[in-house]
Amino acid sequence: MKTVKTLFFIAFLLMVGMAALKNSDAQSAVATQSSATTPLTLLRTTCGGCHNDTTRAGGLDLKALPFDLSSVAARAPWVEIYDRIQKREMPPNSASLSEENWQALLKWLGKAFSDADRADVLANGRGPMRRLNRDEYEQNLRDLLQLPHLDIRDMLPEDRESHHYNKVSEALDMSRVQLSAYLDATEVALQQAMATSDQPPTVARQKAVGEQLSVGRETTGGREAMFWVRDAKGVDLAAEKKAAPNKPSPDPTVEMALFRSPGWPYGIFPRGIVAQATGDYRVRFSARAVLQIPGFVIKPGNKPVPMTFRSRKPTNHDIAEDTRSTGGIIDVQPEGGVYETTVRLNAGQTIEYGLLGLPAPQPDVKGMTAAYRFAPFPADGHPGIAFQWLEMEGPLMPAAWPPPSHRVLFDDLGVGVKSQQPAADAKRLLRRFIKLAEREPVPEEALQSFEKLVLSRLERGATLAESLLAGYQAFLCSDLFLYLREPQRVDDHFAIAQRLSHFLTDSRPDAALLTLASQKKLRNAAVLRRETERLLASDEFARFVNHFTDSWLNLRALRRDDPDIRLYPEYRLDDYLVESAGMETRAFFTAMIRENLPATTVIDSDFTFVNDRLAKHYKLAPLTGSALRKVTLPADSPYGGLLTQAAILKVSANGLNTSPVLRGVWVMDRLMGQPPPPPPPGVPAVEPDIRGAKTMRELIAQHTKSASCAACHAKFDSVGLALENFDVLGAWRTRYRGLENGERVTGIDQTGHDFSYTLANPVDASGKLVDGRSFKDVHGLKEILASNPRQLARNLLHQFTIYATGVPVRFGDRAEIETMLDACAKDGYRVRDLLLALTQSKIFLGPKGCQ
Amino acid sequence: MKAPFVSTAAPVIPRRTFLRGLGVAMALPALECMTPVFARSAAPATPRRMLVIVNNIGVLSKHFFPAQTGSDYELSPYLTGLADCRKDFTVFSGLSHPGVTGGHSTDNSFLTSARGAFKANFRNTISLDQFAAEHIGLYTRFASLNLGVNIEKANRSLSFTRDGVLLPAEDKAPALFQKMFVQGDAAAVQAQLKRLEERGSILDTLQAETKRFSRKASTTDKARLDQYFTSVREVEERLQTARQWETRPKPIAPQPAPAAIEEDKYFFEKTELMLSMAQLAFETDSTRIVTLMLDAFKTPVYRLEGQRNTTDSYHGLSHHGFDEKKVQQLEATDRQQMAVLNRLIGSLAQKPEGGERLLDRTMVLYGSNMGEANIHDNTNLPIILAGGGFKHGQHIAFKRNNNTPLCNLFVTMLQRLGIEANAFGSSTGALTDLKMA
Repeated sequence: MKTVKTLFFIAFLLMVGMAALKNSDAQSAVATQSSATTPLTLLRTTCGGCHNDTTRAGGLDLKALPFDLSSVAARAPWVEIYDRIQKREMPPNSASLSEENWQALLKWLGKAFSDADRADVLANGRGPMRRLNRDEYEQNLRDLLQLPHLDIRDMLPEDRESHHYNKVSEALDMSRVQLSAYLDATEVALQQAMATSDQPPTVARQKAVGEQLSVGRETTGGREAMFWVRDAKGVDLAAEKKAAPNKPSPDPTVEMALFRSPGWPYGIFPRGIVAQATGDYRVRFSARAVLQIPGFVIKPGNKPVPMTFRSRKPTNHDIAEDTRSTGGIIDVQPEGGVYETTVRLNAGQTIEYGLLGLPAPQPDVKGMTAAYRFAPFPADGHPGIAFQWLEMEGPLMPAAWPPPSHRVLFDDLGVGVKSQQPAADAKRLLRRFIKLAEREPVPEEALQSFEKLVLSRLERGATLAESLLAGYQAFLCSDLFLYLREPQRVDDHFAIAQRLSHFLTDSRPDAALLTLASQKKLRNAAVLRRETERLLASDEFARFVNHFTDSWLNLRALRRDDPDIRLYPEYRLDDYLVESAGMETRAFFTAMIRENLPATTVIDSDFTFVNDRLAKHYKLAPLTGSALRKVTLPADSPYGGLLTQAAILKVSANGLNTSPVLRGVWVMDRLMGQPPPPPPPGVPAVEPDIRGAKTMRELIAQHTKSASCAACHAKFDSVGLALENFDVLGAWRTRYRGLENGERVTGIDQTGHDFSYTLANPVDASGKLVDGRSFKDVHGLKEILASNPRQLARNLLHQFTIYATGVPVRFGDRAEIETMLDACAKDGYRVRDLLLALTQSKIFLGPKGCQ
Repeated sequence: MKAPFVSTAAPVIPRRTFLRGLGVAMALPALECMTPVFARSAAPATPRRMLVIVNNIGVLSKHFFPAQTGSDYELSPYLTGLADCRKDFTVFSGLSHPGVTGGHSTDNSFLTSARGAFKANFRNTISLDQFAAEHIGLYTRFASLNLGVNIEKANRSLSFTRDGVLLPAEDKAPALFQKMFVQGDAAAVQAQLKRLEERGSILDTLQAETKRFSRKASTTDKARLDQYFTSVREVEERLQTARQWETRPKPIAPQPAPAAIEEDKYFFEKTELMLSMAQLAFETDSTRIVTLMLDAFKTPVYRLEGQRNTTDSYHGLSHHGFDEKKVQQLEATDRQQMAVLNRLIGSLAQKPEGGERLLDRTMVLYGSNMGEANIHDNTNLPIILAGGGFKHGQHIAFKRNNNTPLCNLFVTMLQRLGIEANAFGSSTGALTDLKMA
C-alpha cells in the first residue's frame, strides 16, 4: 500500500515530463523504434529517451526499473506504465508509438501481468485474512448476544481507511491498542448481556401536563421562541404563580408553544421525565401544529411540523452532552392528536423536544449577553408546535426474564447461574456458546484451549458465570472470531457465507446462510443468487446502504463542516436540510439496487426522493411532511442522479464554499472511477475570492496556462466548473455571492443574526472536457458523463469489489470484470445485475468459482 | 480499586511511521503501532511531561494578546505578569477548534476538538491527555491525573475516553496526595492484581490459540497473524508492568499532606494547591500527564488578592456588559491568573532534574475554550505554552479571521512527548513555527 502514493506521483511526473518533451527527442525515439525486437525492448527504446538515468523524466528511469513481476509491489510500477500507455497519455507524442506497436506492447504486457498475478493469487490467495472493522464487530456482537442496541463501536479505535473504505484487509491492522480495546469492549458487551437482578426493571409511567412540559415556568430563549398558552393567548405562568401561589397545579388548560429547533444554549425537555434504567421507552404526547402571530397569540397551523426527540441528560445547555435523535420523525398535524413513539434512553437521560426545520436561536455574539433575536415574522405567522401533555412509560419489558441475551450466555441456568455440576455445565455451556458464536466450525483443538481456560478459572474458585465469561471473552477476541478468511478451497462454503453477509449486512451470516454453508450449497449459482437477493431485500441491507455510501460517497462527512455563514446565512444550523439530504441519497442508492436501475443513474435520472424541506430546496412543487417521496422531476430540472444531489454537492465542496477543483476531482474519482493523480507537493489550494471580485474561473485560469498543471487539471476542472451553478449545499444559483462587490443583500437569518452579502458575478458553467467535447452547463455535462455507461458500471464493480472482498481490483481481475460488464451490457448495465454478477465471480468466490 | 480520576488506560509504545500510503487516509485517532522494534516497556531516558490548565471563562482578550508578533513583541498588559519568565513561554493567537461552537458548553471539547455538540447526534471523542496516556502512561504509576477546581464533576472534564465517556476530575488535594503517597489497602491491591491475572490468563489462551492456527495459514495470512500475535504479546508485557506498579511501594512524600480547602470562594488558593500537587506528581514521577480544569463557570463569588470578595460570581462577572466595576474585577482576576502561572513556571524552572530544569521537560499549556466570554465567542482562544524544551519568548500569531486548528499545537505536543503522531482531532498538521531550543 505504501508504494501507491509514490507511484501516483511518479506517474504524475512522468506525464508532466513527457508533456514537456521536445519534438526532437520524440523523433529520435521514433527512429529507434523499428529496431525493437521484443515488446520490452520496444518500451525501453520508445520511452528511454526521457525516462533514462540522466533525464529521469517524471522521476522514472526505465533502466533502473527491473522487469520484476514477482510480487504485487514489484508489478505496481509496471501496471502504472501500462495504464498510462493504455489511456494514451504516454507517450506524449502518439506518433512515437505506432498503432500496431501500441497494440502489440499492451497485449504482451497485459498477458505477462495477468499470468504473474494469477499465479500469485493461486499461490497466496487474492488477499490476506481481514480483521472485522469496528462497525462489523459491534454488529456481530449485537446479533450474537441479541442486544440490538449494544453500543461499543466507539470504544474501538477508528479503523484506517484505504481507497475510501474501512474494509481493506491491508489497512485493518492489529495493534496492542486495538487488541486491548477489543478485550475491553467484549467485557462490556458480555456484562450487558448478563442479567443480574431476579426481576426485570420496574416499569414506570411518568406524565407531564401543562406547565410540567418544561423545567421552569419561565419562557426560554425569549418569548417568540417559547411561551405558555391558555385559550390561544400567551400567559405569564411565573407571574401567575407569584400572584396565586396556592392555585392548584399543573393547570391542564395550559399548553406549551414552541417555535424553535434546539441549539446552544437553548433546549427544552419536560420536567421530571427521566429514564431510571437504560432501555426502550414508550412516549405518548398530545400536540398540534400552530402558527404564532404577533402579540403572543397562536392559531391553528396550515401544515404539519416535523419533530423528533433527542436523548440527553437533563443538564442545562452550558454542558455538552451526548445527544442522539431517537424515535424517528413525527409530523405533528394542525388538527392535533395523540402521537406515540418508542425512544431509546440511557439511565438518567431525558427527551428534548427536537422540532425540525425551525429557527435555532443563538445569542447575538456581537451584542450583549443572551440577546436573542428573531428573524422577521413570516406574514402568515410563524410555525411551531403546541404541546398539551406527554407521558413516558418504561423501560419496556422484555418478553421473558432473564432476557434472551442472558440465555445466549447461560442457557436455562437462570439469573445467578447456579449449577449442581459446575464443571460439566461449564463444558456444556462453553461449547454451546461457541457453537452460537462461530461463523464456521471451530476445531476441537481450539475448543479445548478455551475449555482449559474456563476450567482452570473454575478450579481457582471463580464462579461458574465468571469462568464462562472469561472463556467467551477469549473466544470473541481470538483470531477465530476477529478475522474473515477468503474462500479458497472448493469445499469452503463458510467463507462464502461470511463474505456475503459481511458484504450485504455488515454482520455474521444468519442461520439460513450457515445451514446452506454446512450443506455445501453456496457454490451453486442458483442458490447463491437466491441468497444474495434475499439479503438485498432484508431490513439488514440498510446497513450496507449506510456504510457503503458513508465510504463511497463520503456521506460520513456530511455533517462535518458548516457552510461559510457570511455567504450562506440561510443554511445556518439548518440541521433538517442536511439530515434530509442524507436521507435522499441513501434512498436513491437503495432504489438503484433494489429497482435494478441503470448505472447511468449515478449521473442522471428523471426522478428523485424529496420531503418538504428538499422540495423547497430544489424549488419543486411544495410538499408537506418529513417522509421522502419519489417525485418525477420537471424535464428541465438540473436535479436527478447522484451527481446533483444536495448531499453530494455538500460533501464535494470544501466545507465552507464551493471549489470546482475539489468537486471535479471528487466526481472523477468517486463517481466516474477515473481518479486524477495527486497534486504535486507544495502547491496551495485555490481559495475562492469571497470579496466577490473574481470568479473561480478566473482564479483557476493559471491551470490552463502552465502546461504542467494543465495536463491533469484539464481532466477535472471543467467538470467542477459545470457544477458551479450549485451552491455549497446544492441549491441552484446563477450568480456567485461575495462580501464586497455586487448588489448587497441584508437581513436577519433564522438564528437571529444580521447578515449582509452581495450578489456578485454571474456563474458561467460552460466548459470543454479533455477529449474536446464541450458543454454549456450541467445538462450538457450530464449528457457527456452518462454517455459512457460501461465506465460508470466498471466503477461500481470496482467499488463493490473493495467493499465485498477487502482487496481492490487486481490486474488479474480485470478480464473477469470486463466479462461481467459484457454480460450486463445488453440490459444497460443495471446496478443489481452488476452486484449479483460480482457475487458469482471468482473475484468474490475465490479461484474455484461457482459450480 | 480504581479511582475514577486515574486513567489506567493501557499505554502504547511510540509506533513507527507507516503512513506513507496514498490510498491510506489515516483515520483518527487510530494511531497504532505496527510492529515492535524494541522492548516496549522500557521508558525513554528523558521523561517528557505535559500539564494542561484550562480556565473555562478565559480572560479579557484585549489585555491578553500582544500587538506585535515574533520574538521582539512587547508584552501585553496581562503578559507583563509573566515578564520574569518571558523566555520560557510562547503566546499564541489565532488558534481555535474549527466548528466547536456553543459558548460555555465547549469546555468539554477543549482537549478533544469534537464539534457539533448541538447537532442531531453528538458524542465526544478521546482527549489529548488520554491519547497520550495510551502511549506513555505505562512509564509511571498513574497513566494520567485529571484534576479540577470548583468543578462540576459529573458534567465537566478535560478527559474523555475513546467513546466519549467523561472521566471525572479529582478536586480534593488531600485525596490526591493520599493516592500518590500513601499505600492503598491490601484488599484493593489484591483485587486489582486478580483482575490483571485474569486478563493475563485470557491472553495466554489467545497466544496458544494463534500458534495453533498460524501453523497452517498461508503466507499472506501469516503476516496478518504475526501482527495479531505481536499485539497479544505486547498487551501481556504491559500487564506485567501494571502488576509491578501494584506491588511496588509508593514514593516517600517529600512534604506533609496538604490541608483541604473546602470553600469555593478560595478559587485561587485551590488552584495553587492543585498546581503544587501537579508539580509534586512530576517531581516524584508519579505521572507525566496532568490536566486541570478551573471551572470558573461554576465558581461563585470568590476572593481576590487583598482579601476582597468579588461582587458577582465568576460567570456573572464575565458578562460584564462593559460595566466598569465588573470589568475592573475581571482584570484583577486575570492578572492574578497570570501571577499564579508565573509562580508555577518559576517553580518548575527552579527544580533541577537530570542536569536540566524540570520545566525543560514539562510542557505547561494554559488556555481557555472561550475567546471572549462576554459574547460567548469560541474563536481566537488565549493560549500559552511554557517549557518543554521549546524555543520560547515569542508571540506566534495566526489569522484572526481564519483560525488555525488548536489541534496542530496538540500534535506538536504529542510529538514532544515522544509519540509519533502526525494527526490528532481536527489537526491539519503540526505547528512548525514552534522550534526546539
